[in-house]
Amino acid sequence: MNAIEVQNLRRVFTTNIGRFRRESKEIVAVEDISFSVGEGELFGLLGPNGAGKTTTVKMLTTLLIPSSGMARVGGYDVEKEAKEISPRIGFIFGGERGLYWRLSAIDNLRYFSSLYHVDPDTSKKRIPELLEMVGLEERGKEKVEGFSRGMKQRLHIARALLHDPEILFLDEPTMGLDPVGARDLRRVVRNLQSEKKTILLTTHYMFEADMLCERIAVINKGQIVALDTPEELKKKVNDLSVIEVEVFGVQDNLLESIRKLDFVDSVSIEDRDQRQVLTVQTPIGSEAISDLMPLFESSRVGKVISREPTLEDAYVRLVGGEG
Amino acid sequence: MRNSMFMKYFRAVRTTFEITLRQNFSDAFIIFAVIIQPMIIAILALWMLRERGGDIAIFVIVGSGLTGLWSGLLFISGNSITGERWVGTLEGLVASPTPMPYIVLGKNLANVFQSLISMLASYAIVALLFDLQINVQNPLLFGVSILITVVAFVSFGLLMAALFVINPSFAQFQNGLEFPIYILAGFLFPIALLPGWTTPLSYILAPYWASLALHGSATGASSSSEIAFSWAMMLIFATLYAYISNRLFNVVLRRAKVDATLSMQ
Repeated sequence: MNAIEVQNLRRVFTTNIGRFRRESKEIVAVEDISFSVGEGELFGLLGPNGAGKTTTVKMLTTLLIPSSGMARVGGYDVEKEAKEISPRIGFIFGGERGLYWRLSAIDNLRYFSSLYHVDPDTSKKRIPELLEMVGLEERGKEKVEGFSRGMKQRLHIARALLHDPEILFLDEPTMGLDPVGARDLRRVVRNLQSEKKTILLTTHYMFEADMLCERIAVINKGQIVALDTPEELKKKVNDLSVIEVEVFGVQDNLLESIRKLDFVDSVSIEDRDQRQVLTVQTPIGSEAISDLMPLFESSRVGKVISREPTLEDAYVRLVGGEG
Repeated sequence: MRNSMFMKYFRAVRTTFEITLRQNFSDAFIIFAVIIQPMIIAILALWMLRERGGDIAIFVIVGSGLTGLWSGLLFISGNSITGERWVGTLEGLVASPTPMPYIVLGKNLANVFQSLISMLASYAIVALLFDLQINVQNPLLFGVSILITVVAFVSFGLLMAALFVINPSFAQFQNGLEFPIYILAGFLFPIALLPGWTTPLSYILAPYWASLALHGSATGASSSSEIAFSWAMMLIFATLYAYISNRLFNVVLRRAKVDATLSMQ
């Protein structure tokens, strides 16, 4: 039996616009997605902001009712059997909220362990173990308000594991963390994986998905555009080369001009400190450089490199350069 | 099995009670609303009525304690769910195996318990400042009245928590609701002084019957049967409020899952 089973899941949000003549507007956040996650698998949902990752996780954790379709977690229907699901799952949502800041880490864990019906003897033993696992054993008695973002994220993980759930939902767990905090958190996720927990991880960090996940579903505009192992996803761009151009100040219409070139498969731009890096995917390899450079005449150009594609490039191709 | 479930829920309510008390005692607004403000009301009222001597003192102390109970109910219990939503903890509570009414019950018990402390504080401060002998005329009836008042206020708090979620505009009238209930429930003076058309409003408020039972047993002004009638009314309303709130919680939480309002976006 699969730990998570999703079939034709759809979620629509209705918002009202206008002050006097109010009109309802429907926004489709998740459009007819289907996938399954095996027991003990670490499955990734990868997609840009607003792709529908969090909405999907919220439906699977019984916090949102689907508009249509079916989802089962641990064999139970998310809408009709939510009570059966709650003791079997743990979840964390990215960010600092969701904890009682005026309480200590230990009191936060003690409270949630009573709500999750962990018996007091187990709870007494488990709380120090979890604090140690997430590296907070020295700070357990301190109020959460004094914790850094990374510490709060790690406390969230400890909270999600209090009742030893079979299935974990980690929604952007490393979002906003410094590199050391993110690395520590990934180490915790890997340990959980070795304990054979079923984990559904959402992220928009490619290397994180590549490093941790056994299979990845790429989600864009509410739809799954690819679902495979990281290796297979990378093969989807084997026919392409990637050219990176470092630019200091990009002209408004540059991206559009590049996109119109017939040898360009996709183009994306990323800010890195004072510069931008344009990533162009093309089937013609380094030959494209000479054709591209005239477009940069009025910009200051730094390094230009040609390289093999990565998972990130596969992702960019799949989501059409919106990552 | 049933016994083990009962213990699990009991532990959840007890821990919620303890955690809420800890949080409340580190919140300056709550300390002021449920402890300091009732003491100020007690001191001012007694200053105005000091010539009437010790007889009025117990009436004022009980009345000011009830103002603390009501303020706590209005500002803290009413926001039991919406407050969790603001701090981002509501999703964690809703997703837990403990049903929401038990969590709100634990929170309300803590709020009511904390408000009762204000009654004790007022008692001590008035006795000290005004050098008055303050006696509860019928301690046994008073003790039972306190217990039933706790039940009535806690279930009223459950109803308010559900109503505040169903209709957020209700919460906008929070400040405006504080003093009218002090008056309608007869906390500080009898409702006989009010116009006749307000009397039915008082009758549907559990705080009015609590006020009647507590004032009556403390001052000795009511007979045992009158106090027992107030207890019965409190218990009837407590049952009614608990029943309605339990139904409302199911509706409220389902609607929040449909409308995606369990968390702030």
